[in-house]
Amino acid sequence: VTVNGPTTVHVGTPAQYTATVVEASNQLLANQAVTWSITPGAGTISATGLYTPPAAVPAGNQVTVTAVSTQTPTVSGALQLALLDPVPVITSATATAQGTNYLLDVQGNGFLQGAALLIGGQPVVTTQISAEELQAVTAADGAQQISVMVQNPNPGATQSGAVTVQLAAPQTTATAAARLLDQATFGPTELTIEHVERVGLQGYLDEQFAASPTYLPALPAQPPAQCSPESITTVCVRSNWFNNALTANDQLRQRVALALSEIWVASSYNGYMITPYANLLVKDAFTNYRQIMQDMTLSPNMGYFLNMLNSPAAPAGQIANENYGRELMQLFTMGPDLLDEDGTLKTDSSGNPIPAYSELQVEAMARALTGWTYANADGSTPSNFIFTPNWNHPMVPTGLRHDASAKTLLNGVTLPAGQSATNDLTDALDNVFNHANVGPFVCKQLIQRLVAGNPSPAYVQRVAAVFADNGYGVRGDMKAVISATLLDPEARANDTLTGDELETSPAVQSGHLREPALWAVNVARGLNATVANPTAAYPLVNMGGQLVAIGEPPFGALTVFNFFPPDYVIPQTTLLAPEFGLENTGSVIPRLNMANYIMHNSASGLAVDFTAAGTLGSKAGDAGALVDYLGMIFMHSQMPTNMRTAIVDYISAVPASDATDRAGLAAYLLVTSSQYKIMH
Amino acid sequence: MAAGGSALGLHPFGAMNALAQTTTDYRALVCVFLFGGNDSNNMLVPFDTTGYGNYANLRGPIALGRSALLPLTPTPEFALHPNLPEVRALYNSGKAAFLTNVGTLIQPMTRAQYLANQGTRPSNLFSHPDQQLEWQNQAVSGRTSTGWAGRTADRMNVRYNAGAQIPMICSLDGDTLFCNGESTQPVAMGTNGAIPPYCADGKYCPSRLQQAQQLATFSSGVSLVQADNETTSNAYQYNNILMNALGSVPALQTQFPTSGGNPFGAQLKQVAQMMQVHAALGVKRQIFFVGGGDFDTHGAQMEIQAILLSQLSPALGAFYSATEELGLANQVTTFTCSDFSRAFQPNSSNGSDHAWGGHHIIMGGAVKGGQMYGTFPTLALGGPDDSDKNGRWIPTTSSAQYAGTLAQWFGVSTADLPYVLPSLSNFSQSNLGFLG
Repeated sequence: VTVNGPTTVHVGTPAQYTATVVEASNQLLANQAVTWSITPGAGTISATGLYTPPAAVPAGNQVTVTAVSTQTPTVSGALQLALLDPVPVITSATATAQGTNYLLDVQGNGFLQGAALLIGGQPVVTTQISAEELQAVTAADGAQQISVMVQNPNPGATQSGAVTVQLAAPQTTATAAARLLDQATFGPTELTIEHVERVGLQGYLDEQFAASPTYLPALPAQPPAQCSPESITTVCVRSNWFNNALTANDQLRQRVALALSEIWVASSYNGYMITPYANLLVKDAFTNYRQIMQDMTLSPNMGYFLNMLNSPAAPAGQIANENYGRELMQLFTMGPDLLDEDGTLKTDSSGNPIPAYSELQVEAMARALTGWTYANADGSTPSNFIFTPNWNHPMVPTGLRHDASAKTLLNGVTLPAGQSATNDLTDALDNVFNHANVGPFVCKQLIQRLVAGNPSPAYVQRVAAVFADNGYGVRGDMKAVISATLLDPEARANDTLTGDELETSPAVQSGHLREPALWAVNVARGLNATVANPTAAYPLVNMGGQLVAIGEPPFGALTVFNFFPPDYVIPQTTLLAPEFGLENTGSVIPRLNMANYIMHNSASGLAVDFTAAGTLGSKAGDAGALVDYLGMIFMHSQMPTNMRTAIVDYISAVPASDATDRAGLAAYLLVTSSQYKIMH
Repeated sequence: MAAGGSALGLHPFGAMNALAQTTTDYRALVCVFLFGGNDSNNMLVPFDTTGYGNYANLRGPIALGRSALLPLTPTPEFALHPNLPEVRALYNSGKAAFLTNVGTLIQPMTRAQYLANQGTRPSNLFSHPDQQLEWQNQAVSGRTSTGWAGRTADRMNVRYNAGAQIPMICSLDGDTLFCNGESTQPVAMGTNGAIPPYCADGKYCPSRLQQAQQLATFSSGVSLVQADNETTSNAYQYNNILMNALGSVPALQTQFPTSGGNPFGAQLKQVAQMMQVHAALGVKRQIFFVGGGDFDTHGAQMEIQAILLSQLSPALGAFYSATEELGLANQVTTFTCSDFSRAFQPNSSNGSDHAWGGHHIIMGGAVKGGQMYGTFPTLALGGPDDSDKNGRWIPTTSSAQYAGTLAQWFGVSTADLPYVLPSLSNFSQSNLGFLG
């Protein structure tokens, strides 16, 4: 009996064996039937000679297949086969950029313990995720694609077929990525810089526009112990806010919401008022400015702050409350003087500014906005003004208290007598929304909050044009406005410069002082800070006090004029720099002191890992590497040489064994420097 | 000041006086800015039967009750808001005066001129930020980047404060246009006073401080970095100087009302402490800026203004006492400013809306007190002083004249007046005479 078939068999792959039975004369026996068996019993063999290997290769991988003649059982034949590891199969392979490297992720089956990825035929250090997934990190060496195989270990060292994986080229540089993140988020991190490099600036914005919103959680009905009584519940909300700013994935939305809260300023007296108001801004950040006008105007928090809430038609001897009507135009939409589309003042023949509205128009706007009160607890409309707060529902109209006389608003638009409170409000907001000032007025402030305090008129004009028409005939499209703000050539002009080029000849004299709250979150994110006690309720309540100390508790401006004015010019210069309204010899030191707290994990509720094993500490042995890493995170890899040299020299004098001190001192010097405080 | 005015004439701290009088040539102005637009119609109220009756009739729900008003002895036809007892005592004892219906004006203006849109009027009347800035900058037109105190320092600093360790002007309420000059800048200080940079880096603290300060000396081609470097360097320097100076003197004995977040009490206390060390700091002329907000009483005016004035009055009283304790009462003049006053006609939220001219308090030993200056407006809607029909008074005295009187007392020369107050020459009276 002669046995025919493969002499090597891979686990997972059955093998067919056949037998030939001959007489001594070499003539085929009429009866070719045989009985199959194997020794040792590794796997099974069927009556037709189909060998099914065992699930894994046994210790000795040799198996003997024996066929015994049925007619003459004394006659038999055998063949020895070697059992080998299974053949790995790749079903998919992707390469995801990680900074200058790629993470190669290979999916399939039959990946044994010890399986290795081969790139271009060469094995690389491989991480086994499961029998179906392997990963490896490989440097990007400029190749457009790589050939990938999986090789199982011995016995057999069997290889899969080769798969070609396309490598996405970086879409932008680390510097450009970090600059965009500084402008569009609460600050770059190592991971987000790497991510933006790969997906590009527009790609990142598109991702962010699609990210689901993160809202402030509602406070419990009774003030929590961490912020009781009700009047200090703002502290808990600021804990929630800081946590969202630090950790939320919808960073662009959160950042724009903060910017909007500095246009639509409504300083709240307690946290129950802030939370729904702030969440409206989060909800509306990517909608339309008209929607923002609607929601802010009907916010009971705003209504309370600027007296539109329960503002009635005036009885004889009194006038309608002008507060909201005036500031709606002056601060939230138009500004007091007529503007060209580039945000500069229109002037009369004598060179003087031209008022955008008259006192009479303020009075008319005030009358148009009368008649609104709190909704009932169930959201229904009461029949007359009520004084039981409902902060969670838009204000509602009571026809009873609305001044239904005719009003002459902007651009000659007249609201006829007899209109409802709702119709008057709709028409009045439309009237304001369509005023030519709104685009330049709003866009300039968004640019100031996100990118630059002193944008060129041309920059303002380009964004305002998008406000006027997003390209599809829509006015006020926030996504289009935000994209135009962040991707404008002036916003991107310094992306390509080195630190020293930026110092000596910046493409644009641009940038702005990080406002205090932004600076605080920027620092925390850049240091990968986490919440020290994440299971505690409101673990960042101390941050609320810290933000007060440095001058900017969000949603807590002292007046409707925000923490600083949009038209602030640094004394003795012509530099328009709103945030410098908060920067003076009395306010600098508290910010230094907050940096000191953060570097020592005290009084902030945050935890930053400065140990030798941490991200910073592990680099601290090489002062230059440590400073360069911090420079990448905090200064877009654009730290000027003289600053780098000074900090490296200083850190080098600290013993390398004091990794924690080195890391903390370097970070302190960097984040307290004017070079960092000015985002540029 | 628990005993009201009874202690005002006393000088209970003679030893301190002798100490402080080592510098005889010293003068200070203290601006107390009432942010938001104080309704001075309810600060200084007609008290005679006819006048009060007219007031009460027009003000309706925001009229103060006559019985609660504080009558003024030297001018019995007027009374003060019930929560101004310390101010009344100062006025009655001749240490305070009122300037009535003063406001932003570029040139004199009548109702007829205003309604006919004749003459140059201040830009953006009734707008908070614009009117705050115009009170502070006293420019001829529009906005300038300097304030009248800053320009005063430009001209007086070298003459009086040569060798001083700190600027002539100190703000206790952050950055304000009032304080900025063309060639001089203020020092700003929080109500906690000068504070050191905290350091938890143990043995590395001295070198960290030195290194951080050194970084701020690097010149930068990025304008904003350069500007922030300068502010940062000044902050290190001034805080250090003030920490040392203020740490070397005993605490003032005068008690200031600082509880309940009283911004005036807390800030004026710091001002008094700074004055205490003026000799050590080498300053013979100083201007201070103090501010407090929430005067924008569009609603619930009776409640809100009552609270605010109850903070202001004892703070002013304590501050005057402190200047007596320091022996500087005759050398310090304190004055109020505000965005504007408020419409005489109430709105339908028990509040009042933005207006224009209003009344102000001037306090100090040099004040020819117990008198009202300026012209009290005719309290009639659509009347001769009304800019329209709601009782928004057209000022009959310019804030430039107000500032001019203060500046001349402070020592601004006639030659320098046009630089400091360029619109002053548009008015016939450059000195209102309330300072001796």
